Amino acid sequence: MATAADDDAAFHAERRDSDHESFLLHGRMRWLKVALGLGSAAILGYVLADVDPRPNGGSWYGYLLGTLGAGLIVWLSLLGVRKRAITPGRWSLKAWTSAHVYLGLSLVVIATLHTGFQFGWNVHTLAYALMILVIASGVYGMVAYATLPQALSDNRREMTKRQMVEALAAIDRQLEAAAQPIGRVEADLVIAALGQDPFGEGAIARLTGRYRDCRTASALEALAGGDPANERVVALLRKRQAQLAQIRRHMHLRALLEVWLWVHVPLTIMLLAALTAHIVSVFYYW
Amino acid sequence: MSFVIRTIDITAIGREIVREREVAGDTLVIGRAAENAVHLPDLAVEQQHVRVTAEGGRLHLQAIGSLGFALDGRSTTDATVDPGEGGELELGSYRLQFEREADGRIAVVIRQVAREAADKAETLGGFSLGSVLPGKRPLAWTGLAAILLAFLAVPIWSHLTRPAAEPDYDRPGAVLMDASWRTGALSSVHHGLEDQCEACHVEPFVAVRDETCLTCHQDIADHAAQPRQSLARGPLPWGDAVQWQVAHAFGKPGPGACTDCHTEHEGAGRMEPTREKFCADCHGTLDARLTDTALGNASDFGKAHPEFRALLTTDRTQAEPVRVSLDDRPRQWNGLRFPHAMHLSKTNGVAQMARRLGRDVGYGAPLDCADCHTPTADGVRFLPVDMERDCEACHSLVFDEVGGTFRTLRHGRIEQARAELLSLDARATRATGRRRPGEYASLYRADFGGPGVAMLSRAMTEKGLCGQCHVPAGPPGTLAVMPVTQPSRYMIHGWFDHEDHKQEQCTSCHAAGTSDSSADLLLPGIAQCRDCHQGESARSAEVPSSCAMCHSYHPRTGPAAAPPRIARR
Repeated sequence: MATAADDDAAFHAERRDSDHESFLLHGRMRWLKVALGLGSAAILGYVLADVDPRPNGGSWYGYLLGTLGAGLIVWLSLLGVRKRAITPGRWSLKAWTSAHVYLGLSLVVIATLHTGFQFGWNVHTLAYALMILVIASGVYGMVAYATLPQALSDNRREMTKRQMVEALAAIDRQLEAAAQPIGRVEADLVIAALGQDPFGEGAIARLTGRYRDCRTASALEALAGGDPANERVVALLRKRQAQLAQIRRHMHLRALLEVWLWVHVPLTIMLLAALTAHIVSVFYYW
Repeated sequence: MSFVIRTIDITAIGREIVREREVAGDTLVIGRAAENAVHLPDLAVEQQHVRVTAEGGRLHLQAIGSLGFALDGRSTTDATVDPGEGGELELGSYRLQFEREADGRIAVVIRQVAREAADKAETLGGFSLGSVLPGKRPLAWTGLAAILLAFLAVPIWSHLTRPAAEPDYDRPGAVLMDASWRTGALSSVHHGLEDQCEACHVEPFVAVRDETCLTCHQDIADHAAQPRQSLARGPLPWGDAVQWQVAHAFGKPGPGACTDCHTEHEGAGRMEPTREKFCADCHGTLDARLTDTALGNASDFGKAHPEFRALLTTDRTQAEPVRVSLDDRPRQWNGLRFPHAMHLSKTNGVAQMARRLGRDVGYGAPLDCADCHTPTADGVRFLPVDMERDCEACHSLVFDEVGGTFRTLRHGRIEQARAELLSLDARATRATGRRRPGEYASLYRADFGGPGVAMLSRAMTEKGLCGQCHVPAGPPGTLAVMPVTQPSRYMIHGWFDHEDHKQEQCTSCHAAGTSDSSADLLLPGIAQCRDCHQGESARSAEVPSSCAMCHSYHPRTGPAAAPPRIARR
């Protein structure tokens, strides 16, 4: 029996090691090498290119970098389409994601050189700024995905989300019953605590992890150390607070894990619009 | 020790039926089997599922089989409950609450509940940030629409529907939001057009055309007549040829279009001077294509530029000035006798005289260049030397004194000078010391000429009144001088600005201190200029200089022909 369990564990460990190769390490970092090569070539070309009268998006080298950059942006944004079709092999989604990350980073070099370091309050710089924000949020997302799931898993303590909610509901039911004998003022505090939706917290509270105005904490503060008759309610409120803390930390970590997508995805679409305006305007006022 | 088992059932109309019974003993087994103390008829519950043992006021819950149970929502197989605090055990569709009764007994309240599956699924979504933020799609579509509208639709629509108008530098722009399209500030000369993009960008998707530039710059002339200008252009290097092919594919005009050299939106301030290579494309190897050209090849001031050719009169018989290379060490004929060295000496009689004249009249020290040479108001060049202003303090034309007042000849008025001098003789009565007999003795005048005649007769000699500085134009005895020429510009195709060279000594370029003759041409050669000025790309030079520093591409006459730097003065 024990042997079978060990075999099982070993099998899973092996399976995890062989199967789970991070997209960052995919293909011995093939795309990192490609991206570094691309960035270095762009810098070398920038230094060597004879452009007139100064480096500028409108020089021949500027157009070259601009075309490359625009192509990259369109291709990078296609990940949203590509990821919905999972295929194995050379052009697997993992390879695609790996390329998405590294080529996306190389875009910082390519697009910055394309600007020739000329910025202003115009649609051209808007497109550049959106692109930088998209890339920055992507980098954040990569770091978040690498670090936060462990914290999220630790916080779960082998409970599912459903169990967390049910645990809170179970405490609430007992609290409701236990609070029957207590006085009006105290009962109001318990009602307020029970009435507060744990998921009613806004984005700011979730992102900062500071949940102000917690009525469970207020009730606990008011009741603790008071009438010993309230002892059971206080104990349950403590349980409730502990359970809430787990739920809130989960929401906090989830928010940190997910927030970049609210920047990355809408800004990518806006970037495509700004990029279109940038290119069309340049040729319109040719 | 005993447990109170309280079962609460709910009837179809919602009424609660509470059944209560007591189970003696310290242990309670909960399961599906009917013989258990607590019997829960639910297939999700095992025959014997949980054993509850009372241990000193606390309850120990243990799973009997391999299936666990949920205590206060948490799955476990082994747990302890303080009945004072209470605890809720969930098994299948049953909820069992453990409580301490007022009399100290432990109550187990059993309720059967229906799962609210749909409701739960909704609640679980609350963990996600998405539950409190607007959707990514609406955000994306809103942003997309706002950007396309503001930065594309509005400018294009207002550009296409703008009223037709004649070009006017002062008109405000008619296109909305196109400031957001501006790639950079315009140079100072076009600054007034900053919000009037459509003045230059007339047609959509059509590059700025020469004719648009010429609506304002209509007086600009071609650099050279066709077909010579086209013939002068050398074959393009392959890189440039490829670039031009691409440029033409995108509808760019050129080569030779205004916008080839004059690039805009490069930032506020002066328009960037045209790069050297635009000139060198043709002038670097000009003689290879224009075999009859009089111009030397030039591609870089420091490396490939012919010696300067000055426009000057080399001898008195020449009717018109000609251009002569400084390499030929030309002599200059200007109709004057003037040794610079003598005038700039620190020790000779000239220096003494200048010192004696004193500060009150602008001297007081040995002469320097500025005592005679006055810059033009713009500082670019020098005014011609003026006899009255620059020479006469020393070279006096006083010829008589009457009661303390000096009488002076007027420079340049030959006939009047002759008359003044002759009248001097007529007026003067001179006592000769001899008396003649008779009534006219006191009116006797010697008839061998007075001082006026004497001055006149010597005037054109090298020590004479005029001849000291002027070259006689007629036979001896006649009062006539050769015309004097003082060129204000020697380099007719290049532009030199003295103002920009103020920090230099005059003599560092003009070797006046050692010149004994006015025929010496005191112009510096290209080698001297190259001490500071090298080609555009010469990084180590004091002054990297492109063609445009001295030359103007568009041949116009007058000050407008000068490079803007000089023309603005």
